[in-house]
Amino acid sequence: MWKYILKRLALLLFTLFLVITVTFFLMQIMPGTPFNNPKLTPEALAQLKTTYGLDLPLWQQYWNYLVGALHGDFGTSFQYQNQSVSMLIGQRLPVSAQLGAQALVVGVIAGLIMGAASARNKNNKIDGTLGIVSTLGISVPSFILGIVLVYLFGFKWPLFPVSGWGDSFSQSILPTIALAVSPAAVTTRFVRSEMIEALSSDYVQLAKAKGLSPKEIVNKHAYRNSMIPVLTLIGPMAAGLLTGSTLIEQIFSIPGIGQQFVLSIPSKDFPVIMGTTVVYAAMLMVMILITDILTAIIDPRVRLQ
Amino acid sequence: MSNPILKVENLHVNFNTYAGTVQAIRDVSFDLNQGETLAIVGESGSGKSVTTKTLMGLNAKNALIPDNSRLIFKDRNLLDLTESDWQSVRGNEIAMIFQDPMTSLDPTMKIGMQIAEPLIKHRNMKKEDALKRALELMKGVGIPDSEEHINDYPHQWSGGMRQRAVVAIALAADPEILIADEPTTALDVTIQAQILNLMKTLQKDTGSSIIFITHDLGVVAGMANRVAVMYAGKIVEYGTVDEIFFNPQHPYTWGLLNSMPTTDTQQGGLQAIPGTPPDLLEPPKGDAFASRNAYALAIDSKEEPPFFRVSDTHYAATWLLDERAPKVTPPVKIQKRWAHWREMQEQESQA
Repeated sequence: MWKYILKRLALLLFTLFLVITVTFFLMQIMPGTPFNNPKLTPEALAQLKTTYGLDLPLWQQYWNYLVGALHGDFGTSFQYQNQSVSMLIGQRLPVSAQLGAQALVVGVIAGLIMGAASARNKNNKIDGTLGIVSTLGISVPSFILGIVLVYLFGFKWPLFPVSGWGDSFSQSILPTIALAVSPAAVTTRFVRSEMIEALSSDYVQLAKAKGLSPKEIVNKHAYRNSMIPVLTLIGPMAAGLLTGSTLIEQIFSIPGIGQQFVLSIPSKDFPVIMGTTVVYAAMLMVMILITDILTAIIDPRVRLQ
Repeated sequence: MSNPILKVENLHVNFNTYAGTVQAIRDVSFDLNQGETLAIVGESGSGKSVTTKTLMGLNAKNALIPDNSRLIFKDRNLLDLTESDWQSVRGNEIAMIFQDPMTSLDPTMKIGMQIAEPLIKHRNMKKEDALKRALELMKGVGIPDSEEHINDYPHQWSGGMRQRAVVAIALAADPEILIADEPTTALDVTIQAQILNLMKTLQKDTGSSIIFITHDLGVVAGMANRVAVMYAGKIVEYGTVDEIFFNPQHPYTWGLLNSMPTTDTQQGGLQAIPGTPPDLLEPPKGDAFASRNAYALAIDSKEEPPFFRVSDTHYAATWLLDERAPKVTPPVKIQKRWAHWREMQEQESQA
């Protein structure tokens, strides 16, 4: 088990190296320059390039970045002078991660409950209602939902603050809901179909024949078996949520990393693009690793090796 | 032997579907005696599985059972039970052995725990005590080195071992009635014999009654005391195992026996019953088997045959037994069986 995890972590580092390499050279293909202020004199421009090491040959720049990255130095932002990328990410990632984690917990728990309720009441009113709700949840974009929530609970019935972060927990409630709806809906649909399959399986028939109640059957047999495929859905979903949502952060004025990533691209803030890409990639791979470990814990047929 | 533990009276089971009402069971009655094995034989779609599901209260939600149907077990009609009453019957007084051991165990639960579950549910045992009893049950069904394997998961076991576990689950709470729904169909032949022997031994030890569902007459011979042959949702013939095997009267039973390969079956000599079972959305008028029956009489397509008495224990629903019916000659193999039957009768009367 530990050997397997170590192996996967080594693989993770190698993958990160590939991600860095591909992203680094892709950025060079991008048209334009980070310093496009027309007021800059050629001397000032040259000065800037020297400061950031952009006058060096490409392979030298690449090498420098790799060496720096190995020492934990991901460079300095072009856009925010004197802000190192590590600091920038270090400040903003935890905000996004907290919001994402809250949304993940709310979304997955709601999805598990609604999916099971839907499956147990297959084809009746409860199932139909949940089907409509989850279809809406999947199809309505989170930013529209965010705006509706702001209108309803910030303006019409002002129950929660609609912007800012870190002053009180209540500030995080509306963005959490806005972010959680889509994962909740996706999880509901997935759990429903997996649960229906589990409930029609032979081992559930046998459990019924043992005299177990429907509740015992769901809790002791059906849930565990339907969780195995659901986990593969939740892993990448978690990575997506924890790395922030540009639009939701924009609507609720949350200083998260999602905003940062998008803003860094048009301004060609190379070190920030690189840094956030590496964080995204690492997050996704860690989540997939965690998913695999959890799958092995739940499903005795899966052995990690 | 004349002490019925279960009486099935006028059982009808209909299923409402989009296409209409499927009459899966059409007036089935039989008794199950204490300690006996009753085999219910028939091809796919004859209603044998619906019968067992009804006996376990496990029919789909769209099943409709008319009020005059009765399943009398211990002075009560099982059809009147509520779902929670059923839960105390299932796995406790009536238990079931399923067909496919590869899919009927929960892949994520330890086998010992799966055997202990009925004990925790019905005997209010603590988990540790139930697991101790599960270990004894595992030894009882012949799992070698049970102590080492109680914490195994199903995927670590072979099909035959898993079916032993399924048998242990069914026996856990000492049921009075054991329903075996094609318990050996999914197993290879040597393992089949082992499981059948195991069931026979365990029945001797526990004195339980078995309803044995199968389409394989070969396994019936060694297992059952009595046999009921089902066709299109009805019982068409029933009797002791010897009566059904050596003195069959219904042309459908002839067809079943005729299609059994024997050691003297010539190459290419495998016989089949022509045609397919009728559509139970609209069961045919008269004898449902008539359209596939080479011995059908004119009356078969007009009126349903009643049960004719062959002996006190043997009845068959075919107009051929009516005194007005012409005498027909059954297939050669059946004639051989009849000849054997006559020898058996003679030996008996001499003895």
